[in-house]
Amino acid sequence: MGLKTLFKAGLMLDLYFFKNNRAAFISMLLWPYLVLSLILGMGTIFGNPESFKAKVGMEVDPIVYFVASTFVALSSIDVMWGVGGQILSQRWIGTLPYTLLAPYRTSVTLVVSYVPRYLLSISINILEFAPLIVIVSGAYQGVLKLGVLFLAATIGMFPLLGFSALFASLLLTIREESNILGWLNPIILLFSGAFYPAYLLPYWARLISQALPTTYTIELARTAALLSSPDLAHVTFLIGLLAGITVVYNFVAYLVIGAGERKAMREGAI
Amino acid sequence: MLARVKAVLWLHTLRLWRYKWSFLNMILSYVVWMLLLMLGILLFVPHELLGETVKAAFWTILAWNIISQFSSLIGGWMRFFISIGMVEEHILRGMSPFKVIVGRVIPSFSVIVVSQLFIAVLLNGMFKIDVLVVNDPPLLALSFMMLMVESLSYGIVIAAISMRTSIPHAMLEILNFAIVGLLMIPANMLPSGLNILYLTIPYIAPAHLMKIATLRGMNMLYLEALTIALIESSAFSITAMCSIIKSEKWIRKNGVKAIGFW
Repeated sequence: MGLKTLFKAGLMLDLYFFKNNRAAFISMLLWPYLVLSLILGMGTIFGNPESFKAKVGMEVDPIVYFVASTFVALSSIDVMWGVGGQILSQRWIGTLPYTLLAPYRTSVTLVVSYVPRYLLSISINILEFAPLIVIVSGAYQGVLKLGVLFLAATIGMFPLLGFSALFASLLLTIREESNILGWLNPIILLFSGAFYPAYLLPYWARLISQALPTTYTIELARTAALLSSPDLAHVTFLIGLLAGITVVYNFVAYLVIGAGERKAMREGAI
Repeated sequence: MLARVKAVLWLHTLRLWRYKWSFLNMILSYVVWMLLLMLGILLFVPHELLGETVKAAFWTILAWNIISQFSSLIGGWMRFFISIGMVEEHILRGMSPFKVIVGRVIPSFSVIVVSQLFIAVLLNGMFKIDVLVVNDPPLLALSFMMLMVESLSYGIVIAAISMRTSIPHAMLEILNFAIVGLLMIPANMLPSGLNILYLTIPYIAPAHLMKIATLRGMNMLYLEALTIALIESSAFSITAMCSIIKSEKWIRKNGVKAIGFW
């Protein structure tokens, strides 16, 4: 079994899932717009965009700002569930022993079979938001903003893969049956400044946010919301930062998940 | 009869205790998600309006919490109940499986109360606003009861439907999410005539009464909302009873189909 087969298997898994579970596919298409409508709708009923700009402290378009936030938040949840949550769902359906005994390391199987699914999912999400962004920002600016969003989601995936593999290793080791990712995901998004900027959080929360890869992905995606052209130096800085975090998280994950796999094989923690 | 009620109560209380980590996980994830969305919404609100807005958002979230927990925790449990073969067991012993399902009020109510108290404490700590101060406690209790009756009936109706055909869980969640959008529209801002029509949408009338009981300057359409809420709650209860009778009759004739939510 080559890596190409794993990649193809991941892609086919999602395509057949969409084909056979149309309600889940439709709900996947609807969720981003529902979250966006809730925030923008409730925000404009109870407040106004001027107050939003004053609080954020930047000249940004609230619609593109929350499109970027929703897009990255949903993509990040996708990665955390797709890699970290796989251990849990495979344990529930009874396929975890087979994955552990497969020729590739569990981390490799989880990541390589997940990457095509992620790319498919963000492509669907970006296509979904494309008409809205083009209407709000015009054709040229809209395409530019969509490019920034796609770049943020793609680059942001790399550190998040390592980060999520750490969770996978934790779930593998602690034999946890209950769904701890259910509350960990929104907490991570909260500290990353998903819908509320991280720089407005208290000092202690900002310290946590600086260690999370999602913070920089969200910041990168939000440069698309600026009414002026994004500062290229800042964008390059964020990309460099994400590259550095990618190396750190993936290296740590590589070491830790190996230990987790060995422990699971030795103790039968499946 | 009393022994059966005791058995149902004991079953759900014991399960609540045994699944305490899942219970805590559910509360924590709900609270953090709500906080995450609320913080985004509050970015739009000027400082001077923050007090009333936070309160309005809190009570809207409570109404939504009741609707979504009762439909998903009660209706959604039917799949588990069918899959472990308990529907046939209960029918053979002359006990309606729906009576067991109704006992899910215990975990649902516990999740609602604990998560809302948690949100109230967090909002108090963050914005120094006591969201639990209410203008009319009896009206709040009445609106809470009517919202519970409507949601519980809805949960039972979809549980009864799930005995015969599949219910797409993802779609139910979307429907519940769409309701929050409707709940947040202030009825007193709508033109005359349209506001009455708006109140007739399920859940809106009791939720409006909840707003009257908790917020200032919301006492418009009190009698209309009360009348509609009472009629609607009764209609919901009758529909739920009919669904139970019809579904049980159907099961006795055709057997149990292992469907439920998916």
